[in-house]
Amino acid sequence: MKLILIFSALFGASLCLETFVGHQVLRIKTRNEEEVKKLQLLESLEHLALDFWINPSTPDLPVDVRIPANSVQAVKAFLESHGIEYSILIEDLQVVLDKEKEDMACSQRDRSSDSFNYGTYHTLDSIYAELDHLASEYGHIVSKLQIGVSYEKRPLYVLKFSTGGSNRPAIWIDAGIHSREWVTQATAIWIAKKIASDYGKSSSITSLLLLTVSNPDGYVFTHTTNRMWRKTRSKNQGSPCVGVDPNRNWDAGFGGPGASSNPCSDSYRGPSANSEVEVKSVVNFIKNHGNIQAFLTLHSYSQLLMYPYGYKCTEPADYAELDALGRAAASSIQSLYGTTFTVGSICTTIYQASGGSIDWSYDYGIKYSFAFELRDTGRYGFLLPASQIIPTAEETWLGLKKIMEHVRDNPY
Amino acid sequence: MAGLRGGNPPRQDPKGHVSHSSLSSASFSMLSDQVSPLIQRPKTGPRKEMLVGKHRRRDGNLQQGSIPDSGHKYYLQFTTEDYKSGENAGSCLATVLYPKTKSPPVVSIKCTHTKDQKQIQEEDNRLYQKIRHQTKPIIGNNIPDSYGNIEPALEPAWALAVAGSSYIMWEKSTENLGYFMAQVTSVKQWIRKDDFIEFDYTVLLHEIPTQEIISCHMRLTWLPGHPLKVKYFCASENQGLEDGSGMESGSAAGILHERGANF
Repeated sequence: MKLILIFSALFGASLCLETFVGHQVLRIKTRNEEEVKKLQLLESLEHLALDFWINPSTPDLPVDVRIPANSVQAVKAFLESHGIEYSILIEDLQVVLDKEKEDMACSQRDRSSDSFNYGTYHTLDSIYAELDHLASEYGHIVSKLQIGVSYEKRPLYVLKFSTGGSNRPAIWIDAGIHSREWVTQATAIWIAKKIASDYGKSSSITSLLLLTVSNPDGYVFTHTTNRMWRKTRSKNQGSPCVGVDPNRNWDAGFGGPGASSNPCSDSYRGPSANSEVEVKSVVNFIKNHGNIQAFLTLHSYSQLLMYPYGYKCTEPADYAELDALGRAAASSIQSLYGTTFTVGSICTTIYQASGGSIDWSYDYGIKYSFAFELRDTGRYGFLLPASQIIPTAEETWLGLKKIMEHVRDNPY
Repeated sequence: MAGLRGGNPPRQDPKGHVSHSSLSSASFSMLSDQVSPLIQRPKTGPRKEMLVGKHRRRDGNLQQGSIPDSGHKYYLQFTTEDYKSGENAGSCLATVLYPKTKSPPVVSIKCTHTKDQKQIQEEDNRLYQKIRHQTKPIIGNNIPDSYGNIEPALEPAWALAVAGSSYIMWEKSTENLGYFMAQVTSVKQWIRKDDFIEFDYTVLLHEIPTQEIISCHMRLTWLPGHPLKVKYFCASENQGLEDGSGMESGSAAGILHERGANF
């Protein structure tokens, strides 16, 4: 750091930029009008290049003056010869300025999260640390809530973004319910940063609830043991196989087609709806909040933007509006990097699947329920290169914003 | 998700140009990349033929008609892209008939290609030379790795795995089951005395809509101008196993059996 300062000082000097090396700031105490007049005479001597911070006007007030290095001796001699009292406020102005710059840079580093690399995949601990960082850096708009614990007792954290009262109409966003879909957790933490830094500047954001890692046990497992793990890590009674597909476990057509009853299956629905604490915690939170206007969930991969239903292939009542909004959001997404998303209901776009989260949220009364499948379309699939995290997050954000704006403009 | 199964994949090119034929088969068997079928439950009971509507996805276009007592016929129109560069590689028109009798589907396909035979041949040769000029047998694990990285030295092996896997996916997929190649868990090159290159792979296939990760052992042999030879064996459902983290790599002798014709 010091090296940079020295270098820039030299560089600045070489470019004839003003530096304040050797400049002194004196505080002069005048006792009478005569002394004031003498200082005013000094002021008129332009070749001294004196910079009065407080001009000589009345004997009641001290006079502060910055003196360039090569005038210091002359001014001091003048003052002493006239018996005018002074003290040195600043011995070397440049030193003070340098220290100030250093202090600012340091505090800025502490305040900003630029040590967290949003363009790379992180461990759970790293993401959780960043949640804390955001909550403290943007404390006036971000708070971290714990909505429960996972099967293996890891906390489930939701970031709440708002300035208003407790239960203003809010938008819910979750990511990483399927742990192997790494670009979703990565996108979520980027979005957290984006919302925090944009809050107040953009009118589309009102009150937001963001669950960046819905399935922390699974996420840790993908780092430590099996990158392709999808489910929770709950033990299944009477079976050596572990885990339930958390997106077949919601109380929406539970037990119907499109979910497995086999604990060893990657789409195992679980012994009963909401059996998974990761699911139950969200359900409880949403019910207790009472004013969620939109429920948006992030998955990967396939580049799809879907609305209900998955458990049945009939159209939801709000089909027309949801389809139009979905298309508008997909259009926003495409506008950035040309990434195309296919829009439609779950059942008609991919396959029939029961027990899904947005079916539950929709039937619960949250009209604007959408599921995103982010990049890509199969070349890398779950193993999306980190270089695509930020572009994915940026484009997804545009889609989310489009939906949030519509929700803001269409309260119900 | 329309997948395809059959003894005779409709290769445009009987000479088995890898970069080209892998493209066709990859894009064809990975139909979900371009097209996904729209299936609506009939309103009047399960015995009626399924009605399928039009579905557009990018320029993919799928139509289906039901042929009484005969099965479901799909009409597909889709674009293809180079697996490595993402460049547009042409478009295809295809019909796929799934007979009611559950025998392999009948496929007809016609593609236009942005590259001519000569270009394709040159690319095949470049790929071949790249592999041949390695000083040591290629060995690798987890391609791409957890973070999506592919070491440049392992890219040719990955490209061949894509081509070989597309054949496996071609054979395994059905009217209701489709696949993507999720990862190469291991690759080991076997040096041969002749000019053919040979690789032993373990690949992970992502199965839709079951969401299962299927581990397949694959032995692949190739020489430009000759058809790609693929022998494979996929593990069945991981009943009783805790996680499908993939099979051990190593010699596949004794557990492989040849499937399907050469092409």
